[in-house]
Amino acid sequence: MAAVKSKGALVGNRLAIASVLVITLIFLAPIYWIASTAFKPRALATTVPPTVVFAPEITPFIKLFTKRVQLTKPVDPAAYDAAPWWEQRILDNGERVLRTGANVQLSAYPSRFMNSLIIAITSTVLAVGMGTLTAYGFSRFRIAGEKDMLFFILSTRMLPPVVVAIPMFLMYRAVGMTDTHIGLIILYTAFNLSFSVWLMKGFMDEIPKEYEEAALVDGYTRMEAFFKIVLPEAATGIAATAVFCFITAWNEYAFALIMTNRRAQTAPPFIPSQLGSGVIDWTVIAAGTFLFLLPVAIFTFALRGHLLRGVTFGAIRK
Amino acid sequence: MAMAAMTRLDPQSRAAARGWSDLSIRNLFILPTLAFLIVFNIFPLIYSLGYSFTDFRASTNAPANFIGLKNYRDLLGDEFIWNNFVVTAKYVLVSVAGQVLVGFGIALLLNRAFPFKGLVTTLLLLPMMMSMAVVGLFWKLLYDPSWGIINYIFRLGDFAWLSNRDAALYAVAITDIWMWSPFVMLLSLAGLSAVPKHLYEAAAIDRAGKWYTFRRITLPLVAPILLIAIIFRTMEAFKTFDLAYIMSSQDTTELISIKLYKMAFQEWQTGKSSALAYIVLIMVLAITNIYVKYLNRVKER
Amino acid sequence: MRRKTLAGLLAGVGFTIAGVASASAEELTIFWAEWDPANYLQELVNEYAAESGDTITVETTPWPDFQTKAFTEFNAKGDAYDMVVGDSQWLGAGSTGGHYVDLTDFFNEHKLAEVMAPATVKYYAEYPANSGKYWAIPLEGDAVGWAYRKDWFEDPKEKEAFKAKYGYELAVPEDFKQLRDIAEFFYRPDEKRYGIAIYTQTTYDALAMGFENALFSYGGELGDYSNYKVEGIVNSPVAVEALEMYKELYKFTPPNWGNTFFQEDNQAITEGLAAMSMNYFAFFPSLLNEATNPNAKVTGFFANPKGPTGEQFAALGGQGISIVTYSKKQEASKKFLEWFIKDSTQKRWAELGGYTASQAVLKSPEFQNATPYNKAFYETMFKVKDFWAVPEYAELLTQLNNRLGPYVVGDKGTAKEALDGLAKDWTETFTKYGRYAN
Repeated sequence: MAAVKSKGALVGNRLAIASVLVITLIFLAPIYWIASTAFKPRALATTVPPTVVFAPEITPFIKLFTKRVQLTKPVDPAAYDAAPWWEQRILDNGERVLRTGANVQLSAYPSRFMNSLIIAITSTVLAVGMGTLTAYGFSRFRIAGEKDMLFFILSTRMLPPVVVAIPMFLMYRAVGMTDTHIGLIILYTAFNLSFSVWLMKGFMDEIPKEYEEAALVDGYTRMEAFFKIVLPEAATGIAATAVFCFITAWNEYAFALIMTNRRAQTAPPFIPSQLGSGVIDWTVIAAGTFLFLLPVAIFTFALRGHLLRGVTFGAIRK
Repeated sequence: MAMAAMTRLDPQSRAAARGWSDLSIRNLFILPTLAFLIVFNIFPLIYSLGYSFTDFRASTNAPANFIGLKNYRDLLGDEFIWNNFVVTAKYVLVSVAGQVLVGFGIALLLNRAFPFKGLVTTLLLLPMMMSMAVVGLFWKLLYDPSWGIINYIFRLGDFAWLSNRDAALYAVAITDIWMWSPFVMLLSLAGLSAVPKHLYEAAAIDRAGKWYTFRRITLPLVAPILLIAIIFRTMEAFKTFDLAYIMSSQDTTELISIKLYKMAFQEWQTGKSSALAYIVLIMVLAITNIYVKYLNRVKER
Repeated sequence: MRRKTLAGLLAGVGFTIAGVASASAEELTIFWAEWDPANYLQELVNEYAAESGDTITVETTPWPDFQTKAFTEFNAKGDAYDMVVGDSQWLGAGSTGGHYVDLTDFFNEHKLAEVMAPATVKYYAEYPANSGKYWAIPLEGDAVGWAYRKDWFEDPKEKEAFKAKYGYELAVPEDFKQLRDIAEFFYRPDEKRYGIAIYTQTTYDALAMGFENALFSYGGELGDYSNYKVEGIVNSPVAVEALEMYKELYKFTPPNWGNTFFQEDNQAITEGLAAMSMNYFAFFPSLLNEATNPNAKVTGFFANPKGPTGEQFAALGGQGISIVTYSKKQEASKKFLEWFIKDSTQKRWAELGGYTASQAVLKSPEFQNATPYNKAFYETMFKVKDFWAVPEYAELLTQLNNRLGPYVVGDKGTAKEALDGLAKDWTETFTKYGRYAN
């Protein structure tokens, strides 16, 4: 900062860095707590004082993926010995695994997780695909009332979900589209589309027009120039936009809560609905949450260079 | 719909003669998006505007009766609804103020070179990328008066964050501050890094005090971008549903979105809730308008 | 699993799969709330699958969302669920809204009015009252009872101290006065030990059910169910007294007790927080399981105590199973119900942990001796009363929560004011729905 650093400034600098590190630890504590609870034995999830050091186990994940029932009588020791290791873990927890015939019955978690994947990916592809084209249109052609139109597009992103959900519920009901994948995909596409237009427009504006013009002069059609010159140039932007859209759709709760119940239900409304019977089993919730947050955490690191653009709809870039 | 297609391309050129005209490309690229948004966002709103003047209930087969402005009158005269707005305003104030203080504060601390700065910044940004519903659920465990880590770390004994009527809203706001301070931090950092170094150098030569430098140089230059963060967070906080709905069921944390949800999907007062939705919608659009105005201003800088 | 994924993928690209159905093997879905009985039911229907080839999945959601989710699905006219194990209060909305299939013929054909316990037929199946129209088959009987810490109660030192303070023996409370004294006696925040755990949550019917236990035993009523009169009934002097008592009990609860339902009440016992805890009988299995309750060996149970005049009632829980009108598999569902009401199935249901409504099974010594609380359950089931079952009951619940919640948990106003407000709200609601039309 200052040309000549005084001793006081140096100490101040050290102090600032130290406090940043402390704050970072505080900010990460809840996330660490989720991750660690996902590997705790049930009895250690709610202890006083809180348990920090423990032998991690994967029992919460076994429970997350199976349908179980409370034991009403003690386990027969012979049956216990005959059970596979993972089932013994469940028996240790005072529960039994349910079976249909010989098959272990799965919980609904895997299918809800799949729903989340299908819906988030499909709506992302649609929103980014349409958004890229529209952004190119707004970036390259002069359009009367462009500002108003862009405002209109952005304002659709700002609508509170519940406001939109009331009429959409009635419309979906009329055509039998509640609790369908396509129903949520449409809602998420609409929600992300405005975002992707705004973000992609920023990326498109950065690609020099001269590139295409040179191509046009070389005999490319406008379409060819778009696909062969512009799209490759915009690849990073498209990827960043896609990741943002994916995360938004992945995390969305209100629409999913209202519009889906079973077939197309995604993980966010489902995870809170697994509070367990009788006594809350936080380890299972943590396991489900952990798996659900993992992709987002990875994507956040992949996106690090683009986060600022993303959250400002492409308005501010570093 | 704008019909004037103006491009930099000479319409008589060879390129324009081949393939699609720019006009049709423009239409092909833009119209589907506009159509999609109109069909799935605007049309439904027109649909519910109609219902907002009726006593329609989606839970019965009874036809909707036109009742004029009664829903709007009832809503604006309902003390419980006013209370919802008061709760929402309180929440927005506490949560946005907290985010600005914490977020801008961290940004000031971060605005210097140190090892692993990139990693630390990214780690700090993690909370805002996560699902509010799912993480909010887990905060219930953190706030638990018997075995939550918050009371343990801060030695709060068995203070009941979420079931204390007065504390519950602050508890939700704290979680929101945790999630979204990184957002303010991110924008503030961008603003801070854009402040020209020579200004600080000049201030140092003039032996200007730290506070003076901050007030006269840092703050004015960061203000526009900080304002964007504030408006955006205000709008989002005003719409908050997930977090408060998952974390608490007190009437002191019943934000307007939650009331709207309950009215529409628990009490099934479809007509009345459509009217409330419109009241909320107009407020959101007003904030959006301000937001976009500032966004464009900053962009033009 | 793989097939589901594929179906999901297809739906994802735009095909709406309308129930992959083949005549021989159906896939049925039953919707219920998240609790042990739903898991027992899953186990029972797995046995049905082995017999019939039709597979059945029991889908669950936590109690606070149960009603919202079910009615969102009903009002969407969706076929996600073929059958629903709905709360007794839903009968009005389910039947008049056209969501439930009329099961009157089925009921009469199988003489279920005689097979099932009278309270379950009256509250879980019939709507309107005494109409002879049936919309559900009683599936899970339930009522509110109490769990308590036997070791605390039987500790000689405690007994002595209690007698010195209150002038009578410390034992299972016979009336609400004693319940209150014992709660006060064990309320020791310094020792992290508290008197009593009650329901206070205001999202669904927790607070209503909790208050009903006091109200009904005090001889009060929520209103006249035959003519919808509430003024002077729900705010009668005994009702005010009962609400004051409920508020009094709240003083002796553990901290953070303003948003509690069955999970918290069970935790009050498992975590050693409270001497006594109110809960539905159906939540007691986890209190007997040593893996979930370290205090399992020292946990006892008793029925809801008497009021000052000696009356004794309890709030009804429990549900009947109904077929959803929008289901495309109603025949298969009926076939399942026929299997379900067989004596052998009902016996098996009780063995697995379900609370059968079948009189024959309930009366059998095997059932009554199966758990420490089955006998108390059997006795309670003949002394139960329930909330309004009218279609607008959800609004009535919201109003009750709005009025009583702030008083009980938030110290706002008086019991009289809260109940007067409630009587006014309910009268307005009933007026709005034309209940006083004639």
